[in-house]
Amino acid sequence: MSDVTADGFLLPQRFDATRLAESLGGPSACLIDDTSTFEVRFFDSFDWRLFQAGLALLRISSPQGTLLRLKPLEEGEAEAVFGFEPMPAWPADLPPGDLREKVVDLFEMRVLLQLVQVQVEVTELRVLNEDGKTVVRLQYMRMVCSAPHLDEPRTLWPRVRLLAVRGYETELQHLSTHFADEQEWPRAPECLFSEAMAAIGREGGDYSSKLNVALHPEQMAVDALRKILRHLLETLERNIDGTRAALDSEFLHDLRVATRRTRSALTQVKRVLPDAVVEDFKQRFAWVGQITGPTRDLDVFLLELPRYRASLPEAMAGDLDALEEHLHAMHRSEQGKLKRKLVSPEMTALLADWHAVLEAETLPGEPGWFADLPISHVASRRIWRMYKRVLKAGRAVQFDGPPEQMHELRKDCKKLRYLIEFFRGLYPDKEIKRLVKALKVLLDNLGDFQDLEVQADKLRDFARAFKNDDPRHLPTVMAIGALVADLLRHQQAAHVRFAECFAAFDAPENREIYARLFKETRRQAS
Amino acid sequence: MKILGVYNIKGGVGKTATAVNVAHLAAQTGLRTLIWDLDPQAAATFYLRVKPKVKGSAKLIRGKRDLDDVLKGSDYPLLDLLPADFSYRNMDLMLGENKKPALQLLKLLRPLSKQYDLVVLDCPPSISLVSENIFRAADALLLPTIPTTLSLRTMAQLLDFMEGHKLQTPVYAFYSMVDRRKRLHHDVIATPGDPRCTVLQTVIPYASEVERMGLERRPVTDYARRSPAGRAYQALWDEVCSHVGGLSARPAYASIF
Repeated sequence: MSDVTADGFLLPQRFDATRLAESLGGPSACLIDDTSTFEVRFFDSFDWRLFQAGLALLRISSPQGTLLRLKPLEEGEAEAVFGFEPMPAWPADLPPGDLREKVVDLFEMRVLLQLVQVQVEVTELRVLNEDGKTVVRLQYMRMVCSAPHLDEPRTLWPRVRLLAVRGYETELQHLSTHFADEQEWPRAPECLFSEAMAAIGREGGDYSSKLNVALHPEQMAVDALRKILRHLLETLERNIDGTRAALDSEFLHDLRVATRRTRSALTQVKRVLPDAVVEDFKQRFAWVGQITGPTRDLDVFLLELPRYRASLPEAMAGDLDALEEHLHAMHRSEQGKLKRKLVSPEMTALLADWHAVLEAETLPGEPGWFADLPISHVASRRIWRMYKRVLKAGRAVQFDGPPEQMHELRKDCKKLRYLIEFFRGLYPDKEIKRLVKALKVLLDNLGDFQDLEVQADKLRDFARAFKNDDPRHLPTVMAIGALVADLLRHQQAAHVRFAECFAAFDAPENREIYARLFKETRRQAS
Repeated sequence: MKILGVYNIKGGVGKTATAVNVAHLAAQTGLRTLIWDLDPQAAATFYLRVKPKVKGSAKLIRGKRDLDDVLKGSDYPLLDLLPADFSYRNMDLMLGENKKPALQLLKLLRPLSKQYDLVVLDCPPSISLVSENIFRAADALLLPTIPTTLSLRTMAQLLDFMEGHKLQTPVYAFYSMVDRRKRLHHDVIATPGDPRCTVLQTVIPYASEVERMGLERRPVTDYARRSPAGRAYQALWDEVCSHVGGLSARPAYASIF
């Protein structure tokens, strides 16, 4: 097609299309055609799932219609969908096709969020040869970026884009050289996405629920721990608005993970912060865990519902409709409470007080015993101790023993995982990844063992409520019965798999890495 | 990629004007459009201000040279031209040298399917191997027809030929160069058309604006968009889109980002 190659140059701020045409010889050599406007909006999930996969999703709207494109941030083919309105919130509601499949796979339970909106005004110009034939086409472009967090839109530098006309590539080359060498106009950035992001003061990937805090081994433990806790506080706070608006279930999930990690950092990295601080905030963050629990439990049920339905015979899948309605009603009620509590005086005071502690020059109260030790020493010591505890508890688990053994082991494994994640910046990345992966397999297994039983118990409670509520709910009660049986079968399977999962965690190669990274360092340091 | 052939056995019925205006309108709606001037008279090439010369045209038709190398951009965004060459008067012979002579044009066009949404073939008059290639390559044929008895006869000849060769390509006829002062034109238009083709509602008037294309060297739909002829071509394009799928408008600047 016509636009074979394109080249762009930034223009001085006051340089408009008329001046551009004049600089190229006026009306006999450069004609100004139409001016039109259109709009480009970029979308991603809150945690940048497309960006992390090297993709950008953009919607271009013009008077002729709407186009949605999913394109690689670098070079590559784009998927496109034409002509649809309006932009849905959920990827599953995009028009069917490859684009939707790709976005749905990456987004899972996340909602589409608009990152930036760019208003573009384009004036078309044509450079003519002596026969009056168009040999190069130009687009003079002005762009303005806006985003919800900005009071004022941000204007990008005006620019000219050169488009080759097929068969007249030499003329394009001459003009491009003229702009670069004689006019000395700088090249325009090729990626509008990065440029627009920079204009609104954001950077692709500026949020991740993953914890990766850069630490120095010799840093004082108290400073390193406060740095980790500040990172967690930022994550927690960034998820409050999305949780209150119930945009998708991951906001609450990430908020709860940040809360749990904070509690774990307070209680597991022992004797670094003053005891009074630990005691006070341990309780207050436990309260955050409590107020967010009921909504998260219901989120889990609602997320699991499609799987529940799929596990039932087709004829029974519809019998879960009443359960779904019930879950939604309870969710609305719990979400309402949560929304209020997240801006309650308790929560506001907690966040303000926690900021004060994490940003204070000196901490209140008696400093922790290990506060001024190098963080590498404290980290290795804690991880090594927790690892030994997990090994001991895991090796002691009996197949026919009490389930509490497994529940306790799960708690310890979580603590170990959090500790490793807090301090991962101090150790070789490749080996840490390996350890976390092995630990995750074990945690998933322990999670299945415990969570499936908890889910089954809660489903039983729902069934009892339905039975007492209305006899017409009998099919729902029976469907729940079938679900409970299925969940418990899976739970049993998890129980059977435990020995294998733990053996993989307890493999000699992993033991060697744990000892080398955490035990050796501790010995050297002491 | 859709392929539209603009064809008639008769010459001087408004084929080239149709091809150029329809291609221009398609590009304006955002479709990446190529017009291939297959007529050695090179009228479409002339209208679009390109020199009617294709280096190595015989090699091109034999598939020994890429079409890519000889494409020319027009004065309009998204509209390119494959110019005519005087040697196309011998195109039957060039096509005849290939293994499957009747499918050679389609074979040549296939590699362009990622670059273009629409190819408009401006076909030479007469019925020949070139025409058969066009019938086999095209997703639809547009048949400009002057409402006269002789024109209707050639329309029937074409439809007989297609029937005889078991060609299923849908044919969309429309009346072109219609002079409302002529009783005959009225009468022919009022007569039910051949049931083997679809007769479109749009009528292209005989208009001096269309004749001016030679002076302007631009499509009517550019320099006289709001004239009766300009509006008639717009109506024709809209009607073609409603019959032929896959020609819906694309947002402008789809290619920029």
